[in-house]
Amino acid sequence: MERFKASLLKEILLLLHDKVGLLLMYLMPLLLVFIITIVQDSAFRLVNENRLDILIVNNDKGRLGDSLVQSMKNAGSFRIDVKKGIDESQLAKLTLEGSKLATLFVPSNFTQSLSSNSQRISDAMLSEFGMEVEQRAKAGNKNEVQGGVKLIFDPVLQESFQVTLINNLQTMISGIESKEMIRQLYADMGYDEIPSKILKELNRNPTKIVAKPAMSGESAMIPNSTQHNVPAWSIFAMFFMVISLGSNLVKERLSGSFVRLQTIPGSFLHAMFAKIAVYSFVALTQLMIMFAIGVFVFPLIGLPKLNLPSHIFPFLLISVLSAMAAISYAAMVGTYAKTQEQANGFGAISIIIFAAIGGIWVPSFVMPDYMVMISKLSPLHWCLEGFYSLFLKDGSWNQLMGPVIYLIVFTALCQFLALWKLRRQHYI
Amino acid sequence: MTESKNTSHIIKVSGITKRYPKAETNSLSEVSFDVFRGEKLGVFGPNGAGKTTLISILSGILPQTSGEVNYFIDNESANFKKILPKIGFVPQDFALYQELTATQNLRYFGKMHGLKNPELEQKISFLLTILGLDHVGNRKLATFSGGMKRRINLAIGLINDPEILFLDEPTVGVDVQSKVAIMTLLNDLNAKGTTMIYTSHHLREAEDFCDRTLLLDNGRIIAEGTLNDLLKQHNAESLEDLLIHLTGKALRD
Repeated sequence: MERFKASLLKEILLLLHDKVGLLLMYLMPLLLVFIITIVQDSAFRLVNENRLDILIVNNDKGRLGDSLVQSMKNAGSFRIDVKKGIDESQLAKLTLEGSKLATLFVPSNFTQSLSSNSQRISDAMLSEFGMEVEQRAKAGNKNEVQGGVKLIFDPVLQESFQVTLINNLQTMISGIESKEMIRQLYADMGYDEIPSKILKELNRNPTKIVAKPAMSGESAMIPNSTQHNVPAWSIFAMFFMVISLGSNLVKERLSGSFVRLQTIPGSFLHAMFAKIAVYSFVALTQLMIMFAIGVFVFPLIGLPKLNLPSHIFPFLLISVLSAMAAISYAAMVGTYAKTQEQANGFGAISIIIFAAIGGIWVPSFVMPDYMVMISKLSPLHWCLEGFYSLFLKDGSWNQLMGPVIYLIVFTALCQFLALWKLRRQHYI
Repeated sequence: MTESKNTSHIIKVSGITKRYPKAETNSLSEVSFDVFRGEKLGVFGPNGAGKTTLISILSGILPQTSGEVNYFIDNESANFKKILPKIGFVPQDFALYQELTATQNLRYFGKMHGLKNPELEQKISFLLTILGLDHVGNRKLATFSGGMKRRINLAIGLINDPEILFLDEPTVGVDVQSKVAIMTLLNDLNAKGTTMIYTSHHLREAEDFCDRTLLLDNGRIIAEGTLNDLLKQHNAESLEDLLIHLTGKALRD
């Protein structure tokens, strides 16, 4: 026990001396989780809180251009500025020079084009019903706008936002088209305008979509950027311990301290266990600090609060297993690396690759099938699966079996390979 | 130069051979010799002769490929596990924690040897004082000069009061003052009965220090005996002469 205590003290002193390592292990993950959560939360608010700045150049000579502008305003997802009488050739310049993310161009014959379409459909419908259709001059058809409205994007606008914007526009134009078609139908049947009862029904949206996350229990957890990011980046931070622990192991080996321990009976394994104990403490305190920040600090700066899982024992188990997997991987890298540069370089790059394929940056479900298979090789994927089950689905033991089994096997494998190498080098 | 002090074995080496994995030649080939209790045995030879490999095998750091090493306690054959706590090892590298203080290093290795307070603290104080480091005991080793680190490297090897001390180049890269301090302490310990197996490239220092000499070349023993006998036998004037005479002038690495 005295040997273990002495090794523990030595490890703590070495760790306290390694200021850069401590910063990497504690400050870097905090910065990461703050930055990523703020950025993702901003992206969420950009779409949902009227923060997408759009310029509408409404050159329409009729009334439907104004209807489109009004629909855009009513949608509540955009901050809108309207201009008239601007030439199409100036749109790109206007978008790039202004502070708008997109410019919507409504051509001068927008109403005329939509009316012509509506008229054609109305005529066809009345004809189908066996009613006599007035032979109209088809002037509208000749002037029909082929391209419809135009949307010019600032190149910095990401594709997902472009798609969101186009879908919104498409829905609004379809609504205007439908209303115009019904108006035309009534006009052809001799009404001056759509009866108010019908108009009221048209303006009503009876089909509501209720979105609700799938949860195992009755938890009040709401999936948001905090629930996603805090566990994900905590795992990333734990595995980044490879830089400190891996290079620490190489340094001791190269300095000859390990060789000296070989000549002291039983001391080497005490030293290794003490190392594992100290770094386990580091990993678990990393998690505690990150989660505490999510719970107490995030709400103070306007970010969503982190809701901790209601199942405390599965939560502790996944935390401990994730920490053990991270430490065992770091120990294995430190045992096999020949130099500190190798341990740092390989360790850092391998963690970044594990994070990328493991779904830390981009969710695994958006990956192609073969990448989904590959992602299962990453320990970070299984740590994330475990934490997501707890933090997003309020999962219980059954849902955690996969991550638990994988993490135990991964930890055992890394420790076996590390011990095998140490035995081959005659340290144990 | 003194004659061998004792004829009782402490180590008996019988035909050990060492070949590293993937190596084409043996680092040691059929090496046999005895180490006597209380003697200072010098192991010399050109670079690559097998000196460090030999010391590593004797101190249990490396296994031999074949052959036997037997240790004796009170003239009785002893298991290596029994002899291990009685071994001190001073490696050529600074096998130290540069981020810790001198005292913290000594305390750590002392506790790993199973020493307890107050004996351990007394031992630390004694070693720091005798090696002229008592005023810097609480300074981190990273701030030490090469000579100071070498003395701490020796102190750690002595923390367990070893009966057998393996010294691999204990004075390399140190100033004359540190060298005198180290050699004086080693002679004092030997006078109290510590057996020493020593390698060095400082041949003048070795001539004065060693009771008996083992010359290695290409992993084989090429000469063994007291320095006086070897010099007479090969008509050489010094250990350096003798080595050149037996191993030639060609560079080895």
